[in-house]
Amino acid sequence: MKLSNSEYILFFVLMLFPLVCCGEGRHCRSMPCDMLVELAHDSITMHLSEKKSKIKRSERYDRRVRRYRNSVPSYSKIQMYGDMGLISFGAGWDYGRRRQWETDIFIGIIPKYNSDNAKATLTLKQNYIPWSIRLNDSFSFEPFSCGLYFNTVLDNNFWTREPSRYPSGYYGFSTRIRTHLFIGERITFEIPHQKRFFARSITAFYEISSCDLYVISAFTNRYLSPKDYLRLSFGLKFQIL
Amino acid sequence: MRVTTIQTVLLFFCLLCSCSMIEVHPYDTVISGERDINKKNIVRIEASLEGKSSFTFAVISDTQRWYDETEDAVKAINARNDIDFVIHCGDQADFGLTDEFMLMRDILNRLKVPYVCTIGNHDCLGTGKDAFREIYGQTNFFFTAADMRFVCLNTNALEYDYSEPVPDFNFMQFQLDNMPDNVKRTAFIMHAAPGSDVFNNNVEKVFEYYTTLFPGLQFYIFGHTHALTAEESLSNGVHYYRYQCPNIKKRVYLLFTVSEKGYEYEAVEF
Repeated sequence: MKLSNSEYILFFVLMLFPLVCCGEGRHCRSMPCDMLVELAHDSITMHLSEKKSKIKRSERYDRRVRRYRNSVPSYSKIQMYGDMGLISFGAGWDYGRRRQWETDIFIGIIPKYNSDNAKATLTLKQNYIPWSIRLNDSFSFEPFSCGLYFNTVLDNNFWTREPSRYPSGYYGFSTRIRTHLFIGERITFEIPHQKRFFARSITAFYEISSCDLYVISAFTNRYLSPKDYLRLSFGLKFQIL
Repeated sequence: MRVTTIQTVLLFFCLLCSCSMIEVHPYDTVISGERDINKKNIVRIEASLEGKSSFTFAVISDTQRWYDETEDAVKAINARNDIDFVIHCGDQADFGLTDEFMLMRDILNRLKVPYVCTIGNHDCLGTGKDAFREIYGQTNFFFTAADMRFVCLNTNALEYDYSEPVPDFNFMQFQLDNMPDNVKRTAFIMHAAPGSDVFNNNVEKVFEYYTTLFPGLQFYIFGHTHALTAEESLSNGVHYYRYQCPNIKKRVYLLFTVSEKGYEYEAVEF
């Protein structure tokens, strides 16, 4: 694989991302906020004269812990196909009142196939899951999810902006960055408490997506059928926090 | 109940496996279907025209992202029976995506007559070069129809940035050194003409001079700027013509009728 040094480093750092999440989850039996209270108590000392400043300091400490807690990804994902690589590993954060928003970062791999070298890809993905229907104690079904993702290929043959050898605006698009829109469905299995190894729940999902260049082609031709511009992908999500 | 569930799962799985909706990446170079098309079609062209002195061929070019028009062109060419082969002057893909090549190939494969394709500058984007090489073969190639040698060259120097010799004079020299005696005339097929923005214009005059060394230089046929043009040119004391095929959106293909005495050129609307 022909990657520059900085790309290699980025690749490995991001590969470790899901592992980091797993480590966090294994010891975590409660929500991040529960943990915070414990930590806050630990840090209060008995020196009464300095109590006020200590409290202030501990508040600052709490805030720092909370910030750290929020910065740790709360789940990891594995996704296959979907124009983001053969297989992509990622981690992300969920937020919102019903955790209906998700932001993921993926690192994927495109095998060599008929080209000169295998390629790594990076994907930044935003999901919106408006509804969740509880089916029984352990299963819930999310009938609709949607969102968009940006995919970039880490390879020297691809460019974000046209290299200077071209007259300006010659091709007018980027070969490196693709924008995709998707819709999909998901089903979530909540793992019983005593059987949890590292994840609280596992979600299986599929998505149907299309990228900017396919949409342009589809709009200007009657010849193309949906199978020419729609793409399918599958994945698993492991909820850790 | 259980059996039906298993059957459903299996059916779903089979559907997925055969489904072209599963794709690793738009530039993944995963190619299904026919490959190495130029080589196969050259064998067909040479075999069908062996010993003949006259033939007819059509030229199309710059079909990128115009699937509807390309389909119509194929239908129009198939509707007549006087054409022996078709030349595509490059730019099948607009973005160099692997699927663009396969979609275009599937349309061109409906031609009743054999066809050959040269590489265009848009075909080189991303992993397009690899997809083109896999589906069509080498970017520099030649074939002989009756007594006319067709030298098809990659002239998209801007896309190669000195990584490969474009245009490849070694290939041309090899052609000159190994020219069979039965070749009386030569035609050059390329995507970008000398002097155009993607040609290596440092060797424009050298290239023209080199082409005049070939036996009986007749014409260059090329595409690229999406216009229909025909010019007379003179280099090294040799008169020849330069024919530019417009993009397929203009709904025009060129028709060349070559006989023993000379050739006729026509732009046909469809």
